[in-house]
Amino acid sequence: MSDIETGKFSIDELENVQITIGKIVGAIEKKAKEEGVEVGPTPKPGISGLRDWDHKLLSRYQPVYTPVCDQCCYCTFGKCDLGGNKEGACGINMEAHQARETLLRVITGAAAHSAHGRHILHHLIDIYGRDKAIDVGPSNLVAPNTQAVTGIKPETLGDLEEVMDYVEEQINQLLATVHAGQEGAAIDFESKVLHGGMLDHVGMEVSDLAQMSCLGMPKSDTEAPLVEIGMGCIDSKKPVLLVIGHNVSGVTYIMDYIHDHNLDDKIELGGLCCTAIDMTRYKVENGGQPRAKVIGTLAKELKMIRSGVPDVIVVDEQCVRADVLEEAKKLSIPVITTNEKIMYGLPNRSKDSAKDIIEDLSTFKDPGALILDYDTLGEVAPELAIKMSKIREDMGIKALPSDEELQGLSEKCVQCAACEMDCPANLPIMAAMKAGVDKDFSKFEELHDVCIGCGRCDQACPKDIPVLDMIEQASRKIIREEKGLMRAGRGQISDPEIREEGVNLVLGTTPGIIAMVGCSNYPNGTRDLYTVADEMLKRNYIVVMSGCSAMDLGMYKNEDGQTLYEKYPAKFLAGNLINVGSCVSNSHITGTAIKVAAIFAQRNVSGNYEEIADYITNRIGAVGVAWGAYSQKAIAIGSGCNRLGIPVVVGPHGSKYRRALIGKPYDEAAWKVYDARDGSEMPIPSSPEFLLTTAESVEELFPMLAKNCIRPSDNNMGRMIKLTHYMELSQKYLGHMPEDWYKFVRTETDLPLAKREQLLKILEADHGWEIDWKRKKIISGPTMKSDVSAQPTNVKRLCKGEC
Amino acid sequence: MVDTTKNTLIYTTSGRKVAKPVNPNVAGKMISKAKRPLLVVGAELLKDEKLIEKAITIAKKGIPVAATGHSITALVDKDIDVKYINIHSLGTFLGDKNWTGLDGQGSYDTVIFLGHKKYYLDQVLSGIKNFTDLKALAIERHFMQNATLSFGNLKPEVHLEALDELIENL
Repeated sequence: MSDIETGKFSIDELENVQITIGKIVGAIEKKAKEEGVEVGPTPKPGISGLRDWDHKLLSRYQPVYTPVCDQCCYCTFGKCDLGGNKEGACGINMEAHQARETLLRVITGAAAHSAHGRHILHHLIDIYGRDKAIDVGPSNLVAPNTQAVTGIKPETLGDLEEVMDYVEEQINQLLATVHAGQEGAAIDFESKVLHGGMLDHVGMEVSDLAQMSCLGMPKSDTEAPLVEIGMGCIDSKKPVLLVIGHNVSGVTYIMDYIHDHNLDDKIELGGLCCTAIDMTRYKVENGGQPRAKVIGTLAKELKMIRSGVPDVIVVDEQCVRADVLEEAKKLSIPVITTNEKIMYGLPNRSKDSAKDIIEDLSTFKDPGALILDYDTLGEVAPELAIKMSKIREDMGIKALPSDEELQGLSEKCVQCAACEMDCPANLPIMAAMKAGVDKDFSKFEELHDVCIGCGRCDQACPKDIPVLDMIEQASRKIIREEKGLMRAGRGQISDPEIREEGVNLVLGTTPGIIAMVGCSNYPNGTRDLYTVADEMLKRNYIVVMSGCSAMDLGMYKNEDGQTLYEKYPAKFLAGNLINVGSCVSNSHITGTAIKVAAIFAQRNVSGNYEEIADYITNRIGAVGVAWGAYSQKAIAIGSGCNRLGIPVVVGPHGSKYRRALIGKPYDEAAWKVYDARDGSEMPIPSSPEFLLTTAESVEELFPMLAKNCIRPSDNNMGRMIKLTHYMELSQKYLGHMPEDWYKFVRTETDLPLAKREQLLKILEADHGWEIDWKRKKIISGPTMKSDVSAQPTNVKRLCKGEC
Repeated sequence: MVDTTKNTLIYTTSGRKVAKPVNPNVAGKMISKAKRPLLVVGAELLKDEKLIEKAITIAKKGIPVAATGHSITALVDKDIDVKYINIHSLGTFLGDKNWTGLDGQGSYDTVIFLGHKKYYLDQVLSGIKNFTDLKALAIERHFMQNATLSFGNLKPEVHLEALDELIENL
């Protein structure tokens, strides 16, 4: 009996009958077995599959709830006041409800990424077929998240469909638990949060693997090209086509049309958010040059539209403002929606001819159109932009107030403070208005970078003063100069790179990976990102960027006129700066950690999530920073990092996620693991001290980063390097030695060389440690031993003799 | 006497239990009566030299200080009992009966907040309000609805005047 294969078959006896076999149940598992791939204990885990691991993490990193609202309004029993941890009508208490709220946000984010993945996968399979090979560069482990979670080692686009089936089914199961009368324990909602985060990384990975394989994007390319970025890089004399969103599927048709019709020099194609990043990755492998410009992040969205510069706006999905159509209408800018997730009530013109659509939109018969046919979209968007440019110029569209009007508007202000109180960052708008009365608009200019462009000030003003427009007009000189360079997203870290650098990460001689990810809801402007990245790069950390953070980093230059992308090389080595790509490329960051466990440490990866996570928790000094995290996707990404034991720091706005995971360094019982060599207990340093927390300022962030890269597996050289950075950054930015530095010392060789004698004196005098001064050795005092052969693990079954 | 109780407009909703507005003389006396008070200062303090002075003056009355963010840069070597701690961690530890405080002397009963980002402190106070029995006193420029007691929304100069009056009553 022969095996059935996928494909199309005809049956001779039956006319006009064709059988299509698209997927064979168990085929992937069978292939893995044939290839000798060992599958671990949890392929495709359900909600309870990794619960024990979650509970281990959550016993050390306990959930901390800071509700945004004390009430629950999920059902018609309520509203229920849960204040003081009271129970509502359904019996749920505040803790469990807050955990449920977190879960809802995480699975919303995971759904956004995975639905994006499913959409692009469908689209690419339609074009390239299920047998199109996955090609992401010189790696054998092409899908580390997917393989660790599902046990599937995907080789083709078709293989990814089964992965998406699993992710979608699990997200559906998780969503069901949010319903009233389901889960009642906070701890199990928390486990579900971590499950949702893990699924998010699989969904993101599928999305990026598919597009990298088909759209000519860089494949682990350390020389990915530099891309122009900033509002100032757009030439407003040309027709301007603005694209906003995250899903590049439809936009590639626009780019191809422009290129095929020799319009590259005649149209400005600029993007906002992750679509922009992926536009600049499109067809740049093998030396291709980017065919689009990046304007910036969500923070620039309203500012860019209100500048009046775009002639046509195309939106796809995610992080697109709900008022794009209304704002665009005011300035006669047609809007084209291209994805079912955002349709704005516009007529569906997908079956109409490009000529008819262009005619209707350019005569303002409709303010925009829904176009789901990408061939039509490809033609309409650029041709309409060319036409609208002339029409709008002839109309004399005026977008922002003049300087004279600025003064008049300032005079209208009654200093009621409504704008400042409603501003998410409570920015000093009243002072700018006061100065504006005297024609001093410099304070508006100062607001430009710290303003996140949300427009809530406009909504709050009882005098209808267009505050955001005033900020933009006063800042036009700065905006004109907003020109930087970002390295195009390079995709995965390759297997050979892991082989080269893995040992340094595990032993700590490369002090850590700082992954700067997420959105643009910064507490104090975009420059903080530059400051953090530059400081950590100078200290030899590997800095990995993605999404909006990757964009904003490119906006600043040093005294030599260089951006950090120009200053630092882009390999996976100490002191290198890497942009992995867009939002969905965040999966490559967790993928890197998984690859270290799989490739450097030779741990089995397939369906072996717990062991991989345990390895990462105890050995890989990586910290995520989502300094401007605002979205549900960002908390999903963070939660996926957390399940792997990777800690994440968010900026102060991140406190509004309403839950953190914080350890208690003073609780000694929480900081013990097993030594896998014999199952004995061993104390470990209280690092990472948290899995998810906030920092108030970048100055506070610096020492937090250095400290939370410390891991039990550090050798003496590694610990010395990490401790040196922790002490130095604390002294530099907080003005004092950290209180707890001595807790990370196991032996004298852990101490920074230059200060060893001085620190030994402090250990003796302040902490009662016994020192042999002749040999300059610590005799007693440390609570931990230095033993590089130790095998720290949180999982008892991984200890010798336990299996 | 400064009236710090008038403008208590809330800009975000957060439930039924809302801070009681308090005048500076009452706040001062309350701090004086506390057995284990802790002044928690944030990095916004650094934007105003006068606020720094007020915080140091309060601390010199014998009140230990938890310096969050990078506010400690203005408070070291000022002959006051000050220690750095992350505010999210502090908010967590404050609710733990097993925490012995920044100085190992036991838990606190009254926590006073000054110099914080409004939206950030709002969240920290929400955790304290819902999950601890602590008295949280906000002597900020803005009405902090999740504190136990709070000044109302004040103009900067009135805020400084109110702090002077609070100090007089310590």
